[in-house]
Amino acid sequence: MRLEGIDDRVALVTGAGQGMGRAIAERLAAEGAKVAANDIDPVTAAATAEAVGGTPAPFDVSDPVAAGDAIDEIERSLGPVDILVANHAYMTMAPFLEEAPESWRRIIDVNLFGTGMLIERCAPGMAERGWGRIVVIASEWGVIGWPNATAYAASKGGLISLVKSVARALGAAGVGVNAIAPGVTDTPQLDVDALDAGVSHDEIVRRYGKDIPLGRVGRPEEIASVAAFLCSTQAEAFVGQVVQPNGGTTRTWGI
Amino acid sequence: MPVAVITGGASGLGAATAARLRGEGLAVASLDLHQAQDVELAISVDVRDADEVEAAVDRVERELGPIDHLLTAAGVFELSPIGGTGPDVWRRMLAIHIDGTANACRSVYRRMKERGAGSIVTIGSELGLCGDAEAAHYAAAKGAIHGFTKSLAMEAVQHGVRVNCVAPGPADTPLLKPEMRAPEYIDSLVLKRIVRPDEVAATVAFLMLDDHNFVGQVLSPNAGAVV
Repeated sequence: MRLEGIDDRVALVTGAGQGMGRAIAERLAAEGAKVAANDIDPVTAAATAEAVGGTPAPFDVSDPVAAGDAIDEIERSLGPVDILVANHAYMTMAPFLEEAPESWRRIIDVNLFGTGMLIERCAPGMAERGWGRIVVIASEWGVIGWPNATAYAASKGGLISLVKSVARALGAAGVGVNAIAPGVTDTPQLDVDALDAGVSHDEIVRRYGKDIPLGRVGRPEEIASVAAFLCSTQAEAFVGQVVQPNGGTTRTWGI
Repeated sequence: MPVAVITGGASGLGAATAARLRGEGLAVASLDLHQAQDVELAISVDVRDADEVEAAVDRVERELGPIDHLLTAAGVFELSPIGGTGPDVWRRMLAIHIDGTANACRSVYRRMKERGAGSIVTIGSELGLCGDAEAAHYAAAKGAIHGFTKSLAMEAVQHGVRVNCVAPGPADTPLLKPEMRAPEYIDSLVLKRIVRPDEVAATVAFLMLDDHNFVGQVLSPNAGAVV
């Protein structure tokens, strides 16, 4: 479907080197956005940027100074950031009592603190110009929780509350802020789940898929289209919402 | 040309969605008490009557072809306090929304199920999520639509039919009460404005036409009425 209002906007997509972030960069570019493709890995950031005709913006989102410098550079070359899609994530899986404090801190640092700092950097300009869109990729696990993913679920739950609060503050200024809580989606991040379960990527995709009413895990493009829709002009009435493209897993499946 | 049926297509959110879907290249049939303008087929129907709805759906398929999409937007709204509403007003409110939604879904879903494809979007309400004073009967009716939608979604997904709900906030339609256009009320919304019908229409069109894996979800373009 044609999405209005994205053409010519400057969009920063974090974690755009692979998976959902890459698909989001592709969809926004297809709708006419000028995309800055961030990833902690400069090689994949460059590959996505090249594929979508955008600009690579490699930096570690948990480092506010590096992020600030990179966004300064984006604004010099492309213009002010109109759209921020915070898609980056770090995840490890382990039973709660065995999770190392360093992993906890890294997960919260990258997923929650990093996103908070990006919003702090980009939102004032959006509000000043009277138009902006912030889409945060949370997770189904931030809504319902998940064993062996306590820190990840906590970080994603925190993002949901962050989104609702920022949305309340900025809505009247023309800045739309919403979260997407995807269900299991077929991205390289599933390798973490596969490792935790001691099985292959394909096997974890099959296992998760059979418990989803739709009969399969999500595709990155299905999440990308939702992200792009939330960036469109007509999505302004969405304020601090948590939309859940998850194939129907909201309740336990199987009567 | 893909075919969409819209109940309540003659005004408000239904009419706005009809315009949007026609802009996307769909043929639209309206089922409404009133004759819709600017649609491929307008049929006068009381959605409370299952036989009337079935006959209308049959006619749509004969004249326009197999139905690909259904929007159930027929509805009414009024403010009425608990204790002062009475059984007739209660029953009418529930019948238009719950029977109306179920009747349209029954007739259209049966056909979609046989073909193994289709999408259905129901119109709920932010009042069905959180309720409000003097809106008990409306909130009850809309809450029922949310529950119905989620349950039908679980049945229908196995047959290739996608079902979701859009729960708008106060929208600029003929149903909106003057109280909800008052500055004090508008000021209570995060956006400091009510929802435009084209915003709801775009959400419905996205659910029907774009690539996503929403199943049994309630999407809320509500201007910040319920965050």
